[in-house]
Amino acid sequence: MSDRRKIVLMLVPALIVLGGLFLGGLGIGLARSLNWMPVIGLTEPNLDAYRAVLTDPDFLWSFALSFHIAFTSTLLSLVIAIAAALMIRRTGRGGALVRFLFQLNLTVPHLVGAIGILYLFSQSGSFARLGYQVGLIDRPADFPALVFDPAAIGIILQYVWKEVPFIGVILLAQMQTIGADYESAARSLGATRWQAFRHVLLPMILPGALAASIIVFAFAFGAYEIPALLGQNHPAALPVLAWRSYTDVDLAARPQAMAMAMVIAAMSLVLILAYLRAARGRIGGRR
Amino acid sequence: MRLPRLQHRRGTLVFRHRDHFEDTMKRLLLSVLLLSASPALADTADGSMLIGKPWAEIEKMAKGGTVNWFMWGGSDTINAYVGDRIGGMLKDSHGITVNRVGITDAAEIVNLVLGEKEAGVMDRGSVDMIWINGENFRSMKQAGLAFCGYVETLPNNALINWDDPAVANDFGVPVEGCEVPWNKAQFAFAHDSATLPEPPRSIPALLDWIKANPGQFTYPAPPDFHGSVFVRHVFYHAAGGAENLLGPFDQAKFDDVAPKAWAILNEIEPYLWREGTTYPNTIAQLQQMFANKEVALVFDYDASQFGLAVDNGTYPATVRSYGLEDGTIGNTNYVLIPFNSPNKAAAMVVANALIAGEEQLAKADPAIWGAAPAIDVTRASTEVQAGFAALPMHPSVIPATELAKASLPELQADWITAIEQGWIENVGK
Amino acid sequence: MTAALRNLSLALLIVWLVLPLLPLAVWSVAKSWFFPDLLPSVWSLDGWAHVASPRSGVLAALWETTLIAGLVTALAILIGLPAARALGMHRFRGKAGVEMLILAPILVPGLAYALGLHSVFIGLGLTNSRAGVVIVHLIPTLPYMILVLAGVFANLSPDMEAQARSLGASPLRVFRHVTLPAIRPGLIVGATFAFLVSWSQYVLTLLIGGGRVETLPLLLFSYATSGRNDLTGAIGMIYILPGVLILLFASRHLTGQGAGLGGVRP
Repeated sequence: MSDRRKIVLMLVPALIVLGGLFLGGLGIGLARSLNWMPVIGLTEPNLDAYRAVLTDPDFLWSFALSFHIAFTSTLLSLVIAIAAALMIRRTGRGGALVRFLFQLNLTVPHLVGAIGILYLFSQSGSFARLGYQVGLIDRPADFPALVFDPAAIGIILQYVWKEVPFIGVILLAQMQTIGADYESAARSLGATRWQAFRHVLLPMILPGALAASIIVFAFAFGAYEIPALLGQNHPAALPVLAWRSYTDVDLAARPQAMAMAMVIAAMSLVLILAYLRAARGRIGGRR
Repeated sequence: MRLPRLQHRRGTLVFRHRDHFEDTMKRLLLSVLLLSASPALADTADGSMLIGKPWAEIEKMAKGGTVNWFMWGGSDTINAYVGDRIGGMLKDSHGITVNRVGITDAAEIVNLVLGEKEAGVMDRGSVDMIWINGENFRSMKQAGLAFCGYVETLPNNALINWDDPAVANDFGVPVEGCEVPWNKAQFAFAHDSATLPEPPRSIPALLDWIKANPGQFTYPAPPDFHGSVFVRHVFYHAAGGAENLLGPFDQAKFDDVAPKAWAILNEIEPYLWREGTTYPNTIAQLQQMFANKEVALVFDYDASQFGLAVDNGTYPATVRSYGLEDGTIGNTNYVLIPFNSPNKAAAMVVANALIAGEEQLAKADPAIWGAAPAIDVTRASTEVQAGFAALPMHPSVIPATELAKASLPELQADWITAIEQGWIENVGK
Repeated sequence: MTAALRNLSLALLIVWLVLPLLPLAVWSVAKSWFFPDLLPSVWSLDGWAHVASPRSGVLAALWETTLIAGLVTALAILIGLPAARALGMHRFRGKAGVEMLILAPILVPGLAYALGLHSVFIGLGLTNSRAGVVIVHLIPTLPYMILVLAGVFANLSPDMEAQARSLGASPLRVFRHVTLPAIRPGLIVGATFAFLVSWSQYVLTLLIGGGRVETLPLLLFSYATSGRNDLTGAIGMIYILPGVLILLFASRHLTGQGAGLGGVRP
């Protein structure tokens, strides 16, 4: 059997799943969003659903909200993760335990984290009770609104909780590969600790950190269950809005739900291209 | 561990043998085939041949069937009643498996059946029974998604009083043999007698109370079921009574009443929880807030829920429920068999069991559920009647008979949709 | 930064990472826990009794979730292994495109492709079935499997296999005695990812399983949104158990370099 055939055979099952199911699902979503379904007699594609969605202030609010959630969560996670990785890489005694606890919630599903955030930060949650016991507040309403709130603080808290270890572990692995030699060399040439970090270590870990951040951003932008659990009613995060339209009793709303799914997919496409750039940058940075 | 990323390598490897990957692929294909072999066999999907058949024959056809019953799954007591008692009984008596499927909103199931019809799934649908009423029933009936006409074939249909308009109409939509009544319910409010001994007992009194007690009240945003019912109470108040709104949807009447209702709701908005900048998403969120004293009042379409919540520790024991002097809205809820259920005979047997006098009595017990009967109790056996008379009362649950003294009808589903949409546009945003 | 300050911030960070799990754990043994009580006024094992009762469906959901994640992992290995080998050890035309396709599902949220797939699955009779859920879970899991294994294969020397074959070993023996030992660590990591990614799926299972395929996350979401905090707490504890066990196992056996499971889905 020729090499070529062999390679094709090896790839075919995976291509069936990812090409057939994944791209197929996106393709059908696209067709339906364009009202193009020859099977049921819709043979003339149009942009009605997109027109309806893109001129709907609800959609624009939702898009902005989801962007804010994704951007803020990613930025906070990245900054905290860098700080955490810098601290953890030098832990001596007890390091194994610290590393274990740092990674603990990597395996905890988002949903569990979201429920935990709800129990901690709601206006009658653990922190509000603590506030009452020490006399800071008199009743739940005095506690700041941190879940079901307009700024999506609860959602962002959940993502930061979950993603700091995700980015942190990746950074730790990178730092381990890089080692301390470059920084030591910089320090011996008179650089301050900050300068050694800023001009030596940071440029080396940045592409990897960027790639991880892009994954985080994509997830936070498109996940349904966290905003469904911790988000306020209106405006809702984009995936929640898409889900509501899809499960609307009025089937006419389905093309609009599909159009919203396509907007989420388009956002992901941008992120994939960015990721590939970041990943390439990392290979370059290593050389 | 590094971030997963593709790594390239210059080396190449030539396979000269029939390697294991081909076997792997064969096995893979086989397992996919095995996995996707769906056992769905349409046994009693043809409903027309069941209607009017002698009951014993239907029972025979139902034997060994499985009924996938989609119902709201947020109450473990109701889940236990359906799963343990109903499921166990039908397993023993008819060999029928009742598979309770917990859902959060019946609208999703309407959508599911609709999607199946659109995809041409006519006799192997995935839903055999739905706990349903109101606009979801209207949607199913209008779209031809309900199996109709079998109700009179059920022996226990004799216990149902179809002359009662509150049973024969589901939110104003004639039932016409398309669903079987299961429970009656009437909206009730609840307060914690320890912190609020005297709650407001009418809509005008409530509106005043809200302004006098800022931040202590809110309601879930429609189209949440309970939020929507609360808004209807205000709508009735704005219309000067429910009687002005009965009958089919009337745009002129709506345009007359709606602005008044929105004005009332917008007027109280600054005095609501979080100054009305947002509303709870679900009734569960409101219940949670009530349990933790974030708000002082809560409500439910089923007063027995307050007793269950006290018993399972969600609410303090000092919670008491009450109706309004100007009346609260009542309705009946039903079970419905979709047109494409493959197990219609078994579903009919289940529906028949649900309206048996003994079952209606069992679920009326506050320790089991506490739901008001949908049957006409006077038509049941003397034992069942005696059982109803001897039912224990839960201190937190206002008796159904007490509530029923001031009762309001439900509106037709088109009204409800219009009110919900109007609320979203004029109050929610 | 002084050592004391560093240790303090580190301690704060670790506390913050563990903190959200705490109220769930307490709720699982609480019955009445009202504002402003810091501790429950009534302790009770009702939540755990509910979990252990065969009638509540929690154990069935636990089994369903495990079975689905297990099947998904096995299929992901079967499908992912050859593809990873092709990507890690061979160069071919269109490779960049294939790589992009494999990367894409990590970045494209499930909802974006699942709505379209749903209508096709209805027609194929795959909705509301375990088979349908397993198939759809392959989409987010397979990329992790392939990416991890491709990295392993890229570092694998083809010479060892060639030597073994030239000494007369059958292909199966070469795989068992040469290839498998070399890729075993990668296989374990990939399988762990696949298992956990499937284990955590909510929206794909909800949509394709139609509520009929009841996994733990569906049950958890349902109780969390209906205010039964005691049941939510107990189910939540069960739900995180496999991940924690895997992490314990992984940090002992897999790495030796301290890093356990980087790259688990974000």
